[in-house]
Amino acid sequence: MLSRPIVYGALSLALVIAVAVGTPAFVIRQAPMKVMSTIEGRIAGAAGGWNACYHNEVYGPRMEAARRANPDSIISSMAYDLSDGPVRISGVTWPRYWSISFYQQNSDNFFVRNDLELGDPNFTFILLLDGQDTDGLAGEEIISPTAKGIMLIRRFAADNSDMPGILANQKALSCGPA
Amino acid sequence: MGRKTQLAGLTVGVIFLTGASFWAARAYAISQITGQDVIFETFERVDETWLYSDKIGAAAASEVERARVAIGGPLGLSSKEAVYFVSVTDNEGNPLRSNCTYRVSGRPIDTRWWSLALYDSETQHYVPNAQNRSSWNSVSVPRSDTGEWVITVSATPQDEAWLPSQQTPEKAFELMLRVYNPSQTTRAALPQIDLPKVERVSC
Repeated sequence: MLSRPIVYGALSLALVIAVAVGTPAFVIRQAPMKVMSTIEGRIAGAAGGWNACYHNEVYGPRMEAARRANPDSIISSMAYDLSDGPVRISGVTWPRYWSISFYQQNSDNFFVRNDLELGDPNFTFILLLDGQDTDGLAGEEIISPTAKGIMLIRRFAADNSDMPGILANQKALSCGPA
Repeated sequence: MGRKTQLAGLTVGVIFLTGASFWAARAYAISQITGQDVIFETFERVDETWLYSDKIGAAAASEVERARVAIGGPLGLSSKEAVYFVSVTDNEGNPLRSNCTYRVSGRPIDTRWWSLALYDSETQHYVPNAQNRSSWNSVSVPRSDTGEWVITVSATPQDEAWLPSQQTPEKAFELMLRVYNPSQTTRAALPQIDLPKVERVSC
C-alpha cells in the first residue's frame, strides 16, 4: 500500500500537469468568444441596443474599425440576441457587391449570401434559433447555432462617389425583432 | 517537524506550483494567438511573396487558427465567398519595410472584385495618412488597355496609384489581397492564381 505522502505528491503533480495542459486549451478556445462579446458590445452600444443595425457612413479607412478591416467595404452591422425570439432583416441589395453574413459566438461565419445568389434585390431574412416559432413570419429562415452573434452587410464602394447611393441603401435596411 | 506542519508546507508548495503553472501556461497561450504576424503562421505559402488561407471564418479551422483570426482580423468571410492572400515579404523574400519603395504590379484577376490593402504589422491596422488611402481595388486602380495595373507602395508621395506606408523608417507592413466571388476557373486554380508581383525599387 502506498504511503500517504506519495499519494499526496502524485495527486499534486497531476494537478500541476492538468493546469499546465488545460489552461492553454481553455484560453485559446475562449479567445474568439471573448472577442465576439467585445465587438457585440461595441455594435450594440453604437446601434442603441441588440437586434438593431449600426451603419458605417464613411468611405475609406476608419481607425475605430476592427483590425485588418477592408476599407472598401461599407458595413452595416447588428449584434443579435435570439433569446426572446427571431429577428428580421429586410432591405435592398447594392449592385456593385453586396453580401449578408452571420457569425456565431465562436466567430465562425456560418452563413453568407451575396446579391448575385439572391437574384431579387429585395430581401427578407428571419434569423432564429432551431425550434423557435415562425408562424406568420415571411422571409428566408436562417438558423443560428448560438443565441448571440453578429450580422454584417457588406457593400463595396469604388470610391467616395458611391457613398450617396450606399447611404440611401442603408436607409432602406430594417433590422429588429420579428 | 510535526506531520501537520509538513502537510501545511506541502499544501503551500502545491498551491504555489499550481498558480505558477497556470500563469505560465496562460502567458504561453496568449503568446501563441496575439503576437505580430502569428495570424499568418498557419497560412499556406504560395511563393516568395504570398501566403494564403481558406480557413478564415471556417468551421474547419483549428482552435488556434480560429483564435488568431478572431484577434488579428475578426469577421472575415468564409472561402465560399472570399479568399485571402497576404504578403509580408517582397518577391525576393525580403521583409516589407516602410523605408523602401515597392512596385506592385498585376494583371486582371478573374473574380468579381478584388482589393489590395496595406496594414501596419505592429498595430495590425491602417497606416494613418493625409490621403486617407489604405487600399486600391479592381475598380479604382488605374489600368492599361490590357487591364494591367501598377501600385507604388512608399512612404513618400507618388504620382499615380500610391499606397502610403509608414512615415517612420524600418516599420514592418503587410499587403492583403482579398478576392471576392472568384470565378470557377480562379477557384479551381487556388492558390496558384496570377498573383501580383511585389518588387523592391529602392530603400
